[in-house]
Amino acid sequence: MGTLRLDHINKDYVTEGIPVPALHDVSLEFHAGEFVALVGRSGCGKSTLLNLAGVMDFPTSGTVWLDGMNTSMLKDAALTQVRRDKVGFIFQSFQLLPTLSVIENVELPLMLAGGPHPRAVASERLRWVEMDAYADRMPHQLSGGQMQRVAIARALANAPSLLLADEPTGNLDNATSAVILALLRRIADEMETIVLMATHSLEAAALADTIVTLQDGRVQSVSPMQRLTGKH
Amino acid sequence: MNLFYRLILRPLRRERLRTALTVLAVALGVAAVLSIELAGQAAVGSFRSSLETLTGSANLEVTAPGGIPPEAFARVATAPYALKLHPRIEDYGVIAGEIRRTVPIIGIDVINVDMTSEGALGGAPLAADASTFSNVWLNESVWASSGLGYKNGDRIRLLINDTASDFTVRGLLNDPAGETILMDLAPATRLLRRGGRLDRILIEAPPTHSMEEWETLLRQSLPEGVAIARQGAQTEENRRMLDAFRWNLRVLSYVSLAVGAFLIYNTISVSLVRRRFEIGILRALGTPRAAILAGFLGEAGCFGLLGGIAGIVLGRAMSEGAVKLVASTVESLYFSSRPAPISLTWETALLGIAIGIGVSLVSALGPAWEASRVAPVEAMARGRREHQARVNRWRTAAAAVILALAAWIASQQSAVNGKPLYGYLCALLSIGATALLIPALVSALAAITAGLIRRVFGVEALLATRSLAGSLRRTSVLVATLSTAIAVLTAVGIMVGSFRETVLVWMDDILQADLFLTPAVPAGADRHPTMSAEIPAQIAHLPEVEAIDRLRTYEVRYEGLPVTLGGMDSHSGARRRKTSFLSGAPTEGVMRQLIGSDVVIVSEPFANKHRVRVGDSLTLSLGGKLHSFRILDVYYDYSSERGVILMDRATLLRYLPGDEPTNVAVYLKPGVSLEQGQRAVERVIAGRGVAIVRNRTLRDQGIQVFDRTFAITYVLEALAVFVAITGVGGALLALVIDRRGEFGLLRFLGAADRQIRRIILFEAGLLGALANIAGVTLGLILSLLLIRVINKQSFGWTIQFHWPVLVLLSALSIVYAATILSALYPARIATRLVPIEVIHEE
Repeated sequence: MGTLRLDHINKDYVTEGIPVPALHDVSLEFHAGEFVALVGRSGCGKSTLLNLAGVMDFPTSGTVWLDGMNTSMLKDAALTQVRRDKVGFIFQSFQLLPTLSVIENVELPLMLAGGPHPRAVASERLRWVEMDAYADRMPHQLSGGQMQRVAIARALANAPSLLLADEPTGNLDNATSAVILALLRRIADEMETIVLMATHSLEAAALADTIVTLQDGRVQSVSPMQRLTGKH
Repeated sequence: MNLFYRLILRPLRRERLRTALTVLAVALGVAAVLSIELAGQAAVGSFRSSLETLTGSANLEVTAPGGIPPEAFARVATAPYALKLHPRIEDYGVIAGEIRRTVPIIGIDVINVDMTSEGALGGAPLAADASTFSNVWLNESVWASSGLGYKNGDRIRLLINDTASDFTVRGLLNDPAGETILMDLAPATRLLRRGGRLDRILIEAPPTHSMEEWETLLRQSLPEGVAIARQGAQTEENRRMLDAFRWNLRVLSYVSLAVGAFLIYNTISVSLVRRRFEIGILRALGTPRAAILAGFLGEAGCFGLLGGIAGIVLGRAMSEGAVKLVASTVESLYFSSRPAPISLTWETALLGIAIGIGVSLVSALGPAWEASRVAPVEAMARGRREHQARVNRWRTAAAAVILALAAWIASQQSAVNGKPLYGYLCALLSIGATALLIPALVSALAAITAGLIRRVFGVEALLATRSLAGSLRRTSVLVATLSTAIAVLTAVGIMVGSFRETVLVWMDDILQADLFLTPAVPAGADRHPTMSAEIPAQIAHLPEVEAIDRLRTYEVRYEGLPVTLGGMDSHSGARRRKTSFLSGAPTEGVMRQLIGSDVVIVSEPFANKHRVRVGDSLTLSLGGKLHSFRILDVYYDYSSERGVILMDRATLLRYLPGDEPTNVAVYLKPGVSLEQGQRAVERVIAGRGVAIVRNRTLRDQGIQVFDRTFAITYVLEALAVFVAITGVGGALLALVIDRRGEFGLLRFLGAADRQIRRIILFEAGLLGALANIAGVTLGLILSLLLIRVINKQSFGWTIQFHWPVLVLLSALSIVYAATILSALYPARIATRLVPIEVIHEE
């Protein structure tokens, strides 16, 4: 089953020759079906943590283990393969390609990976997010919430074991946000996917199983949701 | 100023490669235009100087086609006016020696000349004293331009017509840039076989009357067929003949500039894309739109200035090569010409800079305007939606149809003052129509081929197609530019290929004889050296020879323009010549009708230039008298752009007695080998300045002249294509920068480096394919325009359409490969983008 383990991760960015620490000695472990919210102020390292988890970036030191694989040891081609097979991304600004139709956007990761029957899989994912009726539309013909649902369908195209969501409700109203968060919750529950979501919203974090609070690049706390909100 | 430095100059300095490429594109465009201009000026300048040597202060000139008869000179000389007359014979000869140099030979009345006051002789009299003027002394004396490098007393051997003669240099002409040989009228008349006729009489008329009055007064003293005009008038008319040729070259040189303009457009667009964020901040902080507009126009101005300066240097260097090519064409098609030194004046230099800056500013206007309209919020968001095409493809397609209709109407119009102005307009309109059709073409092809492309080439091809269709405006400009360069390449390729094939077929027809004899001095469009009359007579009696065909040509004038007049052996030609007539009449029938009648056949360029048809009458001034000839037929001819009038040799001899032929064609008896025949003829011409050329050699020489004539067009085309491909590379770089967010996203979605690279290469491939489709189609239309309208109106030739398939395929393949290669650097940049950074910018 899917696991994500971050082992003593440090990440520095070098700005004009001076190293600026972004993450400091972060060690975390998540399991299949776990919905995790990363919270903290802007610049605390949430996005950096997501990028490292999604093997889009390398830690300065430490190890990222995904499904038991040490990704720090992998070369570029292997990392690309890991991203294709195991990781899905959702962005605050949806990031649908405007020149592709809805279904083509969902097919894209499958086609890039060279997987079989991309159209059938994409249709199935769109049905899952209840967007199959919009398959032939272009992104600019959709609302924000619809675009994010398509983006989720796309992220799920390769049935990833890890879904990374960077402020997925940042551009949406409360009602639409609730729908998107419910979808993410379902993904964790029904697909046994680890959902790692960076958010500023306590309401969004409230739906998570685990809340990781970051401050100045360090893990301040790892707590079940009820501790943060005071509810059960 | 600070804003200009920060926004424009600093990035220019930082991005040296891009700056250098753009400056190079402008420089090449300016250089192409300047080099053609300088080369044209040099070729025309030399034409003027070589014939106008030692004209002194003469203000009028008397001329007559075929020569001024002695009685006409006598009439002017005995006219009751205080005129100074300078009779002249003018032709060309060759200085024998290691370097065989063709030089103007001018015969003047050495005894009576007084030109020392003009400084023409370096202050020295022609001879020390009049007592030295014996006939023998005069017959072996010449005076040489100081530029030829001789000194007093040097011996010089001149080959004039088919005769070599030795002379002594008696003095130097103060003419450092010239290459003239001066001699007395007597040896000039004899060696140049003028039979007592003069080529020109220069007249110094006193200021007692106006020039118009002098012209009127003297015309009354002259026979009908002798013309009087201002001195140099003929030269002016001759030079005007070059106009069409120079115009066409100029237009071709402007293609590089137009293509270079695209690179400026593209570069400023890249600047805009890269600095959109900065512009947003500046606008948000209150910078006015005008300042942004001025900044970007300033950037274009910098490119124009630097490109203009570099273009002047490059153009000056390129003109050295161009002048050789232009002069060679002028020599073969128009007049004897030796390139004058290339003079780069301040005016020309300023013109270069003005062209550079002007073209840059005009082409930058669009993107600079767009930059000034950037909304601050949109720019700072760095979204790419604002880049999406806002092209109404159906509206532009409708405009394209209107332009195409206008182009068709323009193609039906006649020339304006001999210039195919409507033809050029038609070309411009066709290019415009094609450019406007491209958005529809891109959309249609993207829609039609989407499924196929995806199935055959995969997701990268799908993304590339969609991206091109998505950025319709940019794609369209890019395809339009590359397709314009390809169209010009195709059109000129087809035109030159068709012309070459037509000339080859024509040469097969006209070169029926086995051997050809010409005087060993080089002939030119206006030079008709002759050989002794006994040579053909002796050759005709050789046992190896079946028949000969003599041709005598003269330089005459018709309606003020120079024309070649020829007399041929119609009787012998009737059976052996193969001439194609516009009427389709058989050669033999036409040739037989020429015998013994005052009828002529004229070449197609002559008929077109002078708007004459079969049955019309031509009045020619021959030997100082006017004679009328009926046009029997018009024949296809590619030997002279000026036009040819041919009549039977016997008829010509009645009006211009000169038995010496210019060319002799020799037909060998069946069974006689070329070697045998040639050896027999060589025995006859031994020791005489006559060259013998075999049929095959003459054909090869002809096609060499043809290829040399069009060499400059290939250079100009290659330049345009090079600039266009540089533009494609730059434009793809702009696309990569513009779409960096998309490439970042693809990496997030699992795209590998090679997939990103393939997307860019596919885009280049698709752009190349679209440009090829549009370019070849437009090129085909332009080639028809070139062949049927522009060539016809400029030169008057009928060119049979022919597809030079191999040449075109190779050229287009090279262009296509180069287009894809130009995408390698942008592809590398795309794979080096850091996905996290570009995604978070969005």
